Amino acid sequence: MEKSIETIWKEGFLKNEALVAPKLNDLYNQKSIHIVDKFRRMYKINITAVLIFSIIVLPLSYFTNMPYMGIPMSILFSVVVFFSIKFKNKLDRIETSNNSYLYLSSFNNWVKEMVTFNTKMSRYLYPFVFLSMVMGFWFGSFGGDIPGEVFVNSLLENYPNMYLVFGIPLLMIAGAIFMITILAFFGGRIGNWDINLVYGGIIRKLDRMMSEMEELKASS
Amino acid sequence: MSSDFYTTSILPFAPIIIKICRAYTNTQEDFEDYYQEVCLQIWKSRENFREQSEWSTWIYRLALNVSLTLLKKKKNDPQHFASDSLPTELIEDSHAFADESLNQLYDAIKQLSEVDRAVILLYLEEKSYLEIADIIGTNPNNIGVRIKRIKERLKKILTQNNK
Repeated sequence: MEKSIETIWKEGFLKNEALVAPKLNDLYNQKSIHIVDKFRRMYKINITAVLIFSIIVLPLSYFTNMPYMGIPMSILFSVVVFFSIKFKNKLDRIETSNNSYLYLSSFNNWVKEMVTFNTKMSRYLYPFVFLSMVMGFWFGSFGGDIPGEVFVNSLLENYPNMYLVFGIPLLMIAGAIFMITILAFFGGRIGNWDINLVYGGIIRKLDRMMSEMEELKASS
Repeated sequence: MSSDFYTTSILPFAPIIIKICRAYTNTQEDFEDYYQEVCLQIWKSRENFREQSEWSTWIYRLALNVSLTLLKKKKNDPQHFASDSLPTELIEDSHAFADESLNQLYDAIKQLSEVDRAVILLYLEEKSYLEIADIIGTNPNNIGVRIKRIKERLKKILTQNNK
């Protein structure tokens, strides 16, 4: 007669050699392969990198005579650091020893919140970076000259009837607005695409497990 | 991690971790990584143990959660997570145990979804429906029906594999 799965399980584990624990190798110094830890580690590295950039961009822009680029960029990236720390703290609070449903839903919620936030932030981040760079070059100082003024003067020599708004050619303002609109429109998608490229597999697996858990949780 | 903690608090419960990790891995290398990771997470979370449940139940919970959310090695799983669909011939570690029937049962278990694997492992470990529901965080009323379905599926897989 065929053995039941319960019997196979019991008899299979009667032999002690079936349950010999593998040797642990320098456990304390091992890098975790757990995704929560991986996210935490990557997040920490990202936050540190952005924080360093938000600090060094100030003296860098000062020495390159582009304070109009450095100051807004420093503020922007400080805001990014602030929100990233808040997200990291939320991730730290995820309790591995919760029941599986709670654990997976906490992690799933965190991932979803992070993706949504990143998408929203990217919509503002890319246009803001572009604007800061344009302002930095336009109002900067190279050899005592202001590049924006030099550029406008050279344009006026060739096109004296050019329409200016606050000393800036209207066509350039329109071009910048167009660029900002494009970056705002695609910024979210670029951010989303970037996250999907790295974490798409994890997100899909979590979604699948969550829907299975929900199904099991729903009363029959 | 102190070797004392490992020897006194983890090693006596190693069979639980081994049984769970085997169900979520396909190679000896992955198995050892998972085992190591579960031990590491137990050690990291040890202060969160509230003694509301048994230490062994807590280990089941943690080992399952860690196994459900681990990163697999690219070598075996280019999609990182899509191990469910691995054909049996690609499962390198189908002779992990001396008992051939147990190996076949594990191969069959590995063809189930991650959640179903958790349910059946706890059932085979003689956990009550209430305990299973508590560890997984689901409705105990649905566990019985689910187990019945999983057992039928396992029987079908085992019969097919034995043909």
